[in-house]
Amino acid sequence: MYKGYLCLVLHSHLPYVRHPEYEDFLEEDWLYEAMTETYIPLIYTLESLSNDNIDFRLTMSLSPTLISMLSDGLLQDRYLRHINRLIELGHKEVERTRWQPAFEHLAIMYLNNFCKARDTFLRLNRNLIAAFKRFQDSGRLEIITCGATHGFLPLMDICRESARAQIKVAVSHYESVFGRKPAGIWLPECGYHPGHDEILKEAGLRYFFTDSHAVLHAAPRPKYGVFAPVYCKGTGVACFSRDLESSKQVWSSIDGYPGDYVYREFYRDIGFDLDYEYIRPYIHPDGVRINTGIKYFRITGSDNKEPYDPHRAREKAAEHAGNFMFNRERQIEYLCDFMQKKPIIVSPYDAELFGHWWYEGPLWLEFLIRKIVSDQKTIRLITPTEYLSENPRNQVITPSLSSWGWKGYSEMWLQGSNDWIYRHLHTASVRMTELAKSFPRAEGVLKRALKQALRELLLAQSSDWGFIMGTGTHTSYAVRRTKEHILRFTRLYEEIKSNSIDENWLCDIEYKDNIFPDIDYRVHQ
Amino acid sequence: MAILRRIKGKLTKISKRQEKARIVKGEQKKIRGKDIPRVEKKEVLGAQETAVEKTKFYAAKAPVMPRAVPQDLPWGYGQDKIVLQVRDPWWIHAYWEVTNPTYERLKNELKNEFYGARRILRVYDVSQIIFDGKNAHRFFDIQINEHSNSWYIDTGGPGRSWCVDLGLLLPDGRFIMIVRSNTVCTPIEGPSWITDEEWMIPEDMFARLYGMGFGLGRSSPVGKGWEERVRREIISSPGVSSLASPVKKMPAEKKSWLVVNTELIVYGATEPDAKVYVQGKQVHLRHDGTFTMRFAIPNGKQVIPVKAVSSDGKEERSITPVVTKETR
Repeated sequence: MYKGYLCLVLHSHLPYVRHPEYEDFLEEDWLYEAMTETYIPLIYTLESLSNDNIDFRLTMSLSPTLISMLSDGLLQDRYLRHINRLIELGHKEVERTRWQPAFEHLAIMYLNNFCKARDTFLRLNRNLIAAFKRFQDSGRLEIITCGATHGFLPLMDICRESARAQIKVAVSHYESVFGRKPAGIWLPECGYHPGHDEILKEAGLRYFFTDSHAVLHAAPRPKYGVFAPVYCKGTGVACFSRDLESSKQVWSSIDGYPGDYVYREFYRDIGFDLDYEYIRPYIHPDGVRINTGIKYFRITGSDNKEPYDPHRAREKAAEHAGNFMFNRERQIEYLCDFMQKKPIIVSPYDAELFGHWWYEGPLWLEFLIRKIVSDQKTIRLITPTEYLSENPRNQVITPSLSSWGWKGYSEMWLQGSNDWIYRHLHTASVRMTELAKSFPRAEGVLKRALKQALRELLLAQSSDWGFIMGTGTHTSYAVRRTKEHILRFTRLYEEIKSNSIDENWLCDIEYKDNIFPDIDYRVHQ
Repeated sequence: MAILRRIKGKLTKISKRQEKARIVKGEQKKIRGKDIPRVEKKEVLGAQETAVEKTKFYAAKAPVMPRAVPQDLPWGYGQDKIVLQVRDPWWIHAYWEVTNPTYERLKNELKNEFYGARRILRVYDVSQIIFDGKNAHRFFDIQINEHSNSWYIDTGGPGRSWCVDLGLLLPDGRFIMIVRSNTVCTPIEGPSWITDEEWMIPEDMFARLYGMGFGLGRSSPVGKGWEERVRREIISSPGVSSLASPVKKMPAEKKSWLVVNTELIVYGATEPDAKVYVQGKQVHLRHDGTFTMRFAIPNGKQVIPVKAVSSDGKEERSITPVVTKETR
């Protein structure tokens, strides 16, 4: 008899980066790397579990920007080019390391990974989303949505029309991709502002996730802490809060698994380590060294890095999966003494943590799921939808303003380096509402301009730009994107207002910022 | 002597442990210009999430090929307004814009008094009231200079509602409001004191749940078991190995350092349709019949037989370079 539940959640998101106007664009590599290192390995994990008929449950958010990029023809072509280049480099590496067996077998491993990634990509007709959709249709994976462009909603509270547009565009995009309505949402950066549950309710969403303090600091006090969801007062939208103990074990590079010395070192990439002339064709065309994804060392625990040993790492991942399960079992048993209902442990992670940052992460996840399903009887994997149908009675409270970002509130996105963006974003929001209200039934070029205006606004709102500015390093791209979208929006606004739309220019930015082709500009009000 | 040796051994062990701790917990280190997510000694909410998220967005360090730089955004939008946003339970942020015509109007109305006036933000505590400009629980003023257009305000009061007027404080103490902000509410910074009657929850039980929720683990058996395991694992991690690596030690914190690696390039040419084998493995020929291979070369002797076989398989030629590498 199960005593409680574990809800594993993976949040996958990348900002919309697509530059048809350039032959090569460095920041597009964020996507290609994540495809090779995270999304495709996660597909293997899910396939392997399904092939063995493991009755798993996993919740995964796919942000609309990520879905759009993964379904985009240009980026798909470019991914193929990218992976082909890596395969070429892989072959050279196998040759180069011929006299160094400790590295040669790693070179072979990477070459195999790259070839397998390309095969998988082609097998799925270049669209990874199709694979995730299939797992959802099988009933074991629950895919939820996210903000349209991952806009940080608490800093949009002053113009809720924009928060509404972020949600509604996301929901209708989800429906067009998956052929059903999303049951829940991952609020970008877990950013919750009291009252935004009203927007979720309007959009037909039944639940969302928050960080622990959203519920622990809620009023009135939550009876069961974060170990049972709560309903938001007034709307009844369910709020699941994360358990920090289980989070820390996976997130933390000190107390957590990914920092183990046996695991692969993220920061030693041949793109930086090898001879410039040799590596030059595989780094950025202007000759700037970048990561290639081929990394030969393990974390080791000192600067004198030792070669990575995949077998030891694999054993360690299995051991860590066992440890995680063991700890959750103890946690559930402990909680059972307090609670009159079955506790749920919510463990959400950035999907890109698995594979990209923590190379062994997808393996760990697979071991964990297999062990939980077959090796014990204390915890059961569950999705929020299943939980709510089994446990419909929950406490009603008002969660607190919160995020899972640095210091737990809005400071990551509201500090000296990025606070300048809000006067522009908010003005654009007010103007977009004005446009949506002025033109309830636009057609032709005007309609195209209005749709594009909303696209530009949404793209400017991505939390990623503020985040990158907040980290203080390499901020120029984030600044540029913010300015570019705001400027395009402003020009559209002025041209629409003065009835002088420059159609050539409109065509140009429709081609560049082509996200959400079926967007309804009227949702912004 | 034996005792001394034992003490010495212990000291070495301790210092090694400290060394390890320094490596693990060290300040932000740079390896070839890449940022390593810093691990906060004091736990900061969301620090790990931030560090990991950052790795998604690496960028090149050196100047990248010139990209069109967008023009600058306007300083303002020709409106009088002030907007408040919540940063955290204690701090709120205000940004504002006041247009020149508004200042001109005030100059005309106030005449000389305008020049003696101080620009201030008046921060009102408007918790649980409908604010009409006069009924705030309390307020405090922040003097701002003429050129600032935003401000972080330390409210000192989690769980309260705030409204801010931007205005002029005249020498006689009168306050002329120019624009009023929206109202925001700072979140509380701990558990709520409001407990639902029906859902009453004993203090101690909540405390334990609360502790667990934050991963403190003190009160739960989970934390301890886990800590012990981690400690075991870290201590049992193996020492230095002697395997050759393409790049050797890269001291991160020392100023002066040197890395030397050697690679061997083997290249040649034959008929474009011939087959070439290097150390028994076939190599790829370019269209003109040339080939190039590159090997990381360890210390010692390498025998590299190169064999070309003509397309009809009848002719065979071999050349065998022998290379010895020695590092002193």
